[in-house]
Amino acid sequence: MRLFRQQQRRWRSPKSEPLSDAERLRDKFFYFRLLVLTAFAVLTLQLLRLQVFEGEAYQQRAENNRLRVVPVMPSRGLIFDRNGVPLVENVPRFSVGVVPADLPEEKEEPVLQWLEKLLGVSPADVSKDLEERRSSNDPYTPLIVKSGIEPEKAFAVREAEAELAGVRLVVEPVRRYGGQPVLSHILGYVGQVADYEYEELKSKGYGMNDRVGKSGVELQYEEVLRGTPGYRQVEVDASGREISTLDSSPAVPGNSLVLSIDLDLQQKTAEILQAAMGDSLNAVAAVMDVHTGELLALVSLPGFDDNMFTDITEEQFRALLDDPRKPLVNHAISEVYPPGSTFKQITASAALQEGVANAGTTITSHGSITVPNEYDPSILYVFRDWSALGTLNFYGGVAMSSDVYFYYLGGGYYENGVELFRGLGAERLAEYCRRFGLGRPTGVDLPGEAEGNVPDPEWKERELGEGWFIGDTYNFSIGQGYVTTTPLQMLQVTAAVANGGHVMLPRVVREIIDPAGNTVVPFVPRVTGETGVSDENLSVLREGMRQAVSWGTATTAAASSVSVAGKTGTAEFGPDLGGGHYATHGWFTGFAPANDPQVAVVVFLEKGNGAKNAAPIGGQILNYFFSRKSAG
Amino acid sequence: MYVRHIRNFDLVLLLTSLALVAYGIILIYSGSLPSYESAAETLANPVARQITFAVLGVAVMLLATRTDYHLWGYAAGLLYLLSIATLLFVLVLGDAIYGSRRWIEIGGTQVQPSEITKLALIIVLAKYLSDRQERLGELKVFLTSLGIALLPTLLVFAEPDLGSAVILLAIWLSMIIIAGARSAHILGLAGALLASLPFILIALITDYQRERIQTFLDPESDPLGSGFNTLQAEIGIGSGGWFGKGLTEGTQTQLDYLRTQTTDYIFSVLGEELGFVGAMVLFALFVVLLLRALRTARLCQDPFGRLTAIGIVAYILFQVFINVGVNIRLLPVTGIPLPFISQGGSSLITLFIALGILQSIRIHQRLRPW
Repeated sequence: MRLFRQQQRRWRSPKSEPLSDAERLRDKFFYFRLLVLTAFAVLTLQLLRLQVFEGEAYQQRAENNRLRVVPVMPSRGLIFDRNGVPLVENVPRFSVGVVPADLPEEKEEPVLQWLEKLLGVSPADVSKDLEERRSSNDPYTPLIVKSGIEPEKAFAVREAEAELAGVRLVVEPVRRYGGQPVLSHILGYVGQVADYEYEELKSKGYGMNDRVGKSGVELQYEEVLRGTPGYRQVEVDASGREISTLDSSPAVPGNSLVLSIDLDLQQKTAEILQAAMGDSLNAVAAVMDVHTGELLALVSLPGFDDNMFTDITEEQFRALLDDPRKPLVNHAISEVYPPGSTFKQITASAALQEGVANAGTTITSHGSITVPNEYDPSILYVFRDWSALGTLNFYGGVAMSSDVYFYYLGGGYYENGVELFRGLGAERLAEYCRRFGLGRPTGVDLPGEAEGNVPDPEWKERELGEGWFIGDTYNFSIGQGYVTTTPLQMLQVTAAVANGGHVMLPRVVREIIDPAGNTVVPFVPRVTGETGVSDENLSVLREGMRQAVSWGTATTAAASSVSVAGKTGTAEFGPDLGGGHYATHGWFTGFAPANDPQVAVVVFLEKGNGAKNAAPIGGQILNYFFSRKSAG
Repeated sequence: MYVRHIRNFDLVLLLTSLALVAYGIILIYSGSLPSYESAAETLANPVARQITFAVLGVAVMLLATRTDYHLWGYAAGLLYLLSIATLLFVLVLGDAIYGSRRWIEIGGTQVQPSEITKLALIIVLAKYLSDRQERLGELKVFLTSLGIALLPTLLVFAEPDLGSAVILLAIWLSMIIIAGARSAHILGLAGALLASLPFILIALITDYQRERIQTFLDPESDPLGSGFNTLQAEIGIGSGGWFGKGLTEGTQTQLDYLRTQTTDYIFSVLGEELGFVGAMVLFALFVVLLLRALRTARLCQDPFGRLTAIGIVAYILFQVFINVGVNIRLLPVTGIPLPFISQGGSSLITLFIALGILQSIRIHQRLRPW
């Protein structure tokens, strides 16, 4: 300091006297006073910047700190069977959460130790998760440390909330399904929003810890069941404790579903199916009201316990996914199979409607027909009947399920290149398939429906790059080869045969009601297509199916309480087991009463024979339905 | 002699300090509301404690006023050794709070020896330098005085308490300048320091310090962790605006977003609740106090008295600047109390002793010929 001063003076008058000590001291004190004033000037300038120039921005940030919008979750709508039996309830479940924003790292230790002591959770794991959440964009949503704790522990957590920063008792309603695993595929389950769902659901107002329908009607009707969340704007302190509520809007509870399913029939159906499914990996049985499309029962075995999903572990979920029986899959709608002889309903309807055949058309089955190779007539392809059934009229063809009879109807018959019987041909058959609803989802109100396949020459050329042969038409005519359907599609077909040709939209939910029980969306049957087959023609087929039960292949489906009409199917699938033998699916589809159809039924066994295994199941289900009806 | 007492007693200095303490008590009251729920509890605890310390402080101040300040000079060596010993004791056995060891327990109260060390250093340096009036140009004297300052500085730095270390060095620098050390020595030291700065940084800056500096540069990098205090204090002060949100009405203060809000971050309470205007009142009080103290130094003809006074000015000035600077994010976080305002007995009593010494310098300086 003295140095500068001297230089300055020297520059002005090089010969001036050196400063006296007193003068120098005075200078220094002058600079000290300047230092004091400068120091406070610097502080004042920064304060001006913070408080005056940027004050508003900081005020906003202070508001953001103190105000928090807390969602108020609506209670989820309930689900009832068609008779008003409740199938699910909302029960409170206690979980321990930690709000990452409210637990600063330096205060973590005692909290984590406390949590370890009470719940046995590893402090290291929790600490790691907390760190992750703190750096996420949502540090205010509690990190669930342990869910589903006992009420006594929940009480301890509630008491500790005041002392331990960030710790929250999270009370959330969860679904408890009424212990009917037979309904698992229909009801589905609810689970926490998954990471991959979050991005999409966020825009609909879902939070990270929210629960959302994952399958079944819980998924299909998520928007109906969920209701509208409300919110509360609260003032919180730095530990996230609510000080006061400033504003709120109540949550609107979700609406409830009334299923078309009849719980009693569903249970009985599952029971009958379970008892008869043998070593089949899967089995399906469903009952539909032929006039309305309402599904009265829809069973896919094996089922699962939807309650598991409240707190499912990774291992449990893996086990369900890896189970070869695929219990999570609803085999009635999500898997496609060759329909076998149940498909003959379509071939028969088409043949009658197109004039290919009438009730009196007789065809003789010698047990097989042969078709020579187009290029090398010495090679003969043999298309077998299941037996040499002799001469049959239309009713007999249906009743005995003669494959040869249907080869004629579908593909015609040729001898030495001469057409002796004109069949439908693949295109016309495919057209009728589509009219009956095959090749597209039925539109049932359940997620994950498969389409199935309706083949025709164009399809084969496109998909397989091969030409269509007469043999393809023969296979098609009896529901083998490239045609595949879901069990529900076959039920829809049978219902159309039974109701005079209307393809009904199958439904599991009958109506939507509000929490007070008032109908919000009433049930209105919906037709998704017309088969274009006259009822007169369909009545011929129905008579054939009645005869199948009275004296034909489906006699095992006969019921004591009602007259049943039906069609069996034994569909070959998979690899050749040797000697032209294949594993078979067992099918049965039918309706009752035969003369005034009310309900249709479909039965599918992953392994089995139509007549031996599937038909009796169908008969028992219809018998139960009508015996109960008359008793009630 | 009593007439002289009254004539020379600096009433303005006393009144400003009392005004500051009163201001502080109001802020402590507001700042401790969130931790003590009801006003009655607050009055029974932090406020009552602070009032007790203030009363004790004023008593000690009067005692120091009446005592001839030269007496401190005789005890200088002992005071210095005692404070070094306590600092060592703290380092080894002290209670760690917020990651550093600064406190020792004496009879149930926590005592922070670094506060008393500051005063001890002022006196010992004043004694050493005034005794060597004629040899101040010697490098040996210069370096010895630096050594005297460096020993407690390093001990405090090791706690770690960067702020107090800086203040101790600032006290030394102010005193050596007023004493009349050669500019060449001071500039030489500054040059050497600058040249070795990178090594010092690597060698001395611990993770703790580095984190604090990182936090200072970018508190948003860890808004819920180490950046929390910095950010929340800044938000609190900034949101105060011109006039503040009103005493006990600050949301940041009352909803507990500020940490150590009756001690190191008490300025944030002021900034939020009383705004820019409230802060200007505080600054005005400090400026008056410091200029009065500086005047005492300037008017003092006795080198020992002058050096002691300038040391006290430096002590209070840097303490205020660093504390407020940290609060308004001009400086990296370091825990320094705001003189007269922050809750805490060690600081308050040390300050009142210092004020007593200042008064004593005014009253007793002419009594002894030199």
